[in-house]
Amino acid sequence: MPTLPNGSVQVEQVWKKFRSDKTAPLFYDQITRLSKRVTERGKPGWRWVLKDVNFEVAPGESLALIGVNGSGKTTLLKILSQVTFQSAGRCTVAGRIGALLSVTSGLHPDLNGRENIYLYGAVLGMSREDIRRKFDTIVEFAELEDAIDRQIKFYSMGMQMRLGFSIAAFLEPDVLLVDEVLAVGDANFQQKCLRRIGEIVRDGTTLLYVSHDLASVEASCDRAVWLSDSVVRASGPTKDVVTMYRTAVEQSSTLLSTKDGVVRVVKAELHAADGGQLRSECEVEVRLVLNAPERCMASFFIGISQGTAFPMFVIDHQGTMPEGDFEIVCKLGYLPLPKGHYSLWTAITGFPKGKKDPYLPWQPVISFEAFGPDRMEPPEGVMALSPVYVGAAWTVS
Amino acid sequence: MTDLAVDQPDNNVPLIVTDLASIPAEPPADILYVHKVSLMASLKTLWAHREIMYTLAERDFRVQYKQAVLGAAWAVLSPVATLVIFVVVFSRLKQAFPTSGIPYPLYAFVGILCWTFFAQALGNGGSSLLANKALLAKTQFPRECFPLETMLVTAVNTMLSWIPLALLFVIFGRAPRLATLWVPLFMLIEVLFAAGITLAVSSLIIQMRDLQQVLPIIVSLGIFMTPVIWPFSYIPTAYHLFGDVTVNLQAVYGFFNPLGPVINSVRQTMLLGLNPSWWPLTTAFIGSLCYITLGYKIFKRYEVNFADIA
Repeated sequence: MPTLPNGSVQVEQVWKKFRSDKTAPLFYDQITRLSKRVTERGKPGWRWVLKDVNFEVAPGESLALIGVNGSGKTTLLKILSQVTFQSAGRCTVAGRIGALLSVTSGLHPDLNGRENIYLYGAVLGMSREDIRRKFDTIVEFAELEDAIDRQIKFYSMGMQMRLGFSIAAFLEPDVLLVDEVLAVGDANFQQKCLRRIGEIVRDGTTLLYVSHDLASVEASCDRAVWLSDSVVRASGPTKDVVTMYRTAVEQSSTLLSTKDGVVRVVKAELHAADGGQLRSECEVEVRLVLNAPERCMASFFIGISQGTAFPMFVIDHQGTMPEGDFEIVCKLGYLPLPKGHYSLWTAITGFPKGKKDPYLPWQPVISFEAFGPDRMEPPEGVMALSPVYVGAAWTVS
Repeated sequence: MTDLAVDQPDNNVPLIVTDLASIPAEPPADILYVHKVSLMASLKTLWAHREIMYTLAERDFRVQYKQAVLGAAWAVLSPVATLVIFVVVFSRLKQAFPTSGIPYPLYAFVGILCWTFFAQALGNGGSSLLANKALLAKTQFPRECFPLETMLVTAVNTMLSWIPLALLFVIFGRAPRLATLWVPLFMLIEVLFAAGITLAVSSLIIQMRDLQQVLPIIVSLGIFMTPVIWPFSYIPTAYHLFGDVTVNLQAVYGFFNPLGPVINSVRQTMLLGLNPSWWPLTTAFIGSLCYITLGYKIFKRYEVNFADIA
């Protein structure tokens, strides 16, 4: 077998199965299981959480793993870091692994910040000498100079997270595995973490990054692998994979949400006011035909999102909702979207707010393609949280 | 214009969309993962990670006495307290066993010290994987660090309780004999034995938590099956099996329970200044080597599942 250069990751035909009956050791459950074996013949007592996963990462590359909850992302990272073992296939990681699977699990609440830095550092694989050398840098990065001699059970959650991340941030491994650890912490610190991750990658460390935050994925990774239902659905440039993922999420959320609500969507349209292509900055008309069972006061909402239920913007209107079929026409003076695939979401709630169940729950009604310039890229390592397009005229003098 | 141009990286990674139909229902049999680790290689890895073990032990030791007013002084105070109770109770009891003229509290305390180390190492080490669940599922270093680190803490605690033993010698106006120098050898046998059992038990407890309830019961039975409060000489050295065939039952016992010869030898050397009886000690040594090898093997065998079931 040829040896891989330091910092590369190779995943070949990796499979992993989990038992599906977690409580099986109980005597009572054993009996149930035996009887099930007779009644449900052929149904396995385990399920695959990873099936035939293949990919390679070259030294210095950064790869994102995306996918919905339970798609196997964390399990894959755990296998890579040898916390758990694959059921079949081969996983090779060349060089020192730094696995940041949870920011606070290595910290002990009864110890003070100083002791915890030594403890967590050692647990993550740093030598004592290393930690001593980097101690001040870590404390400074975590902004905990004043609290370092306090027991960390008296820290706030955010402080604990900052401490945990800061220790890992100065690990200097060849391959860094990061699992959804930026979910807590304030916006400032998140930005700081991302910047630090960017620095680590620039220094030549290979990065494997798991996150649900697609904005941060796009900001920090060149390539992405999309895991869904235990298999790799697609891999390639982050932008393309993220787009595919967004589209899929939108489709499944359509399936999820069109069931309830008393108002029905009969027809939905979205077109440019001049009848031409939907272009950035053009005037847009949204036409919705709906059917309501009764006449009442209501709030109408329209929003545009990139696949998720979190809209990029929302506009609303209060008015009387007539009985039977009715039409809503909403003119947008300006389409603030760069080129891409979007969906139009809508909801109708009772008025005043929160008195009743919504007449029409928040749901996507139509998806569309916008033409125009590409999205502007933010400076490296910075998340673009609301990817809207703002037309501008620049002069630099 | 040209000054502002930024070097765009060559983005030639192709987008690959998986053909879901191409994925088989089961992995081919020839790529199934087999967890094979040689004990020597594991020992090497463990040695490379020894710092983690020290750090974890330090953590446990510090945590033990955090927020206690007297702090680490408890490490010495609590064995002294045990000793006081011990002396008061045992010096009022009628002596039940022959002790070769040694005051019974001294005689029994030596046995109890040896036993306590074993019992605590097993008790704490056995559940160490469960106690460190959070780390077990999130970090990667040799798993045997957990039970061994716990044993290290127990060892330090036990070492501190040898201080009251010194007090006991003073109380009874005696001094340890020169042959006490043998004691580290006996302790080695005990540590190997305890480590073997602890490794095996900890890897079994995490899969079958019932053991956690059963273990204290077994341990409290064990104190009576080991010569802690009774003399080892109760076991015959020459037992007539049949005809002329005699068997040294002490040696046989020693193989299965190395603690017997260990405790007996500590008494023989430290209290009486005799040479230890070598036969039982040899079988105890061989026995403890078997225990540690077997225990480590069992641990390594089950280690694959730890993170999944913890």
